[in-house]
Amino acid sequence: MRNVAGAVIAAAGLGSRLGMGMPKCMIEVNGRTILSRLIETLSPHVPLVSVVVGYREDMVIEYCARHHPEVAIARNPDFRSTNTAYSLFKGAQVLNGKVLYLDGDIIISPASLSQLVDRTAQDDVVIGVTEAKSKDPVFVNCREIKDTAMVTQFSRCEESRHEWANVFVAPHDILKGANGYVYECLERFLPAPAAYLDLHEVDTAEDLEQAKPFVMNLDSARRQHQGV
Amino acid sequence: MKGTAYCFDLDGTLTTTEILPCIASEIGVAEEMATLTRATIEGHIPFEPSFRLRCLILGRVPSDRIREIVASVPLNESIFSFIRSRRDRCYIVTGNLDIWVRPIVEACGCGLFSSVASDEESGLKLHSVLQKSDAMNALRQQGHDRIVAVGDGMNDVPMFGAADVAIAYGGVHPPSPAAVLASQYVVYDGDTLCEMLRAL
Repeated sequence: MRNVAGAVIAAAGLGSRLGMGMPKCMIEVNGRTILSRLIETLSPHVPLVSVVVGYREDMVIEYCARHHPEVAIARNPDFRSTNTAYSLFKGAQVLNGKVLYLDGDIIISPASLSQLVDRTAQDDVVIGVTEAKSKDPVFVNCREIKDTAMVTQFSRCEESRHEWANVFVAPHDILKGANGYVYECLERFLPAPAAYLDLHEVDTAEDLEQAKPFVMNLDSARRQHQGV
Repeated sequence: MKGTAYCFDLDGTLTTTEILPCIASEIGVAEEMATLTRATIEGHIPFEPSFRLRCLILGRVPSDRIREIVASVPLNESIFSFIRSRRDRCYIVTGNLDIWVRPIVEACGCGLFSSVASDEESGLKLHSVLQKSDAMNALRQQGHDRIVAVGDGMNDVPMFGAADVAIAYGGVHPPSPAAVLASQYVVYDGDTLCEMLRAL
């Protein structure tokens, strides 16, 4: 039995800080789009991937039809007036059980995603954390409780080594009626198990530049693994 | 309450090819029929006059022969299995004719909303052309409190508008832009569609 029933990728937003006129998931890094990278990283772990589209949905729908016809596409035509929590909820409606939720603008190391999925065998809620490096971070306080790293607090101002990764595992209906930021919806489950993720989020042109060496390392590790 | 009703368009959703062009090949007008069908799916020609025209053309083929052809039209295995496993809650909702699509409906064992015709001595007589939103109203009156609709064409838009969950399906050809705009979900693979339907 799989640990998680499916994954939801939130790819509805404008990506206005990057200003490339396309959804961030459609940006190519080292020759492949962020969306393809995410779907391919997720596929070994989940039976179904749901992609939530909004801004320039035609472009993402056509791309999925051509390159990833096995995904489910959830439409959020109200993407301009709704938040990521709403998009994730829409995408999770076609799934049952535990769901892996992700932002559509991240590149994630397959090995660290595997570790997060392994963690979900025992726990209903697992929160992805990563090394603090973004411009506008939501810091995460972690503490060892009974030999397990647990997230105890999210904070905009209280600095720490780790930040919220915009990746988590939780039941499919957890964001029903949610208001505010996604991490705020998770606060009622704290303390919750933390899973460290090696990832880069692409919010700005600077993030994109910083992600390139990370992606090239991932791609070269992948080629070595495949014996190419 | 009878719970959720699952409604499926027939041509290009349950069937992996359009039915009317298959029938048309019998009288050597398959390409012309395919063009007319595509123009209708895409919304360039209104469904009802297009369908009446297509019936007029295909009415030259005996209904028994049409049913033989329909019986041999391939079905999407995943969707077919889904319908068979929930036949009391599944419905084929098609503008096609009841007397033509009977072999598929019997194989599925599910409910049917369709256009209605009869064979008369004078030839095929078309009694009514289905408005898919009427089928949705009928299902509500039967006590279904939730309707999930799956389709691909312009004539599925009224069905999508009246359903609780609308899924544009592009397993055979891309769903029409109007169907996508009226949908909450878009899916291109029959297995994925059925996974979604089981979770919804």
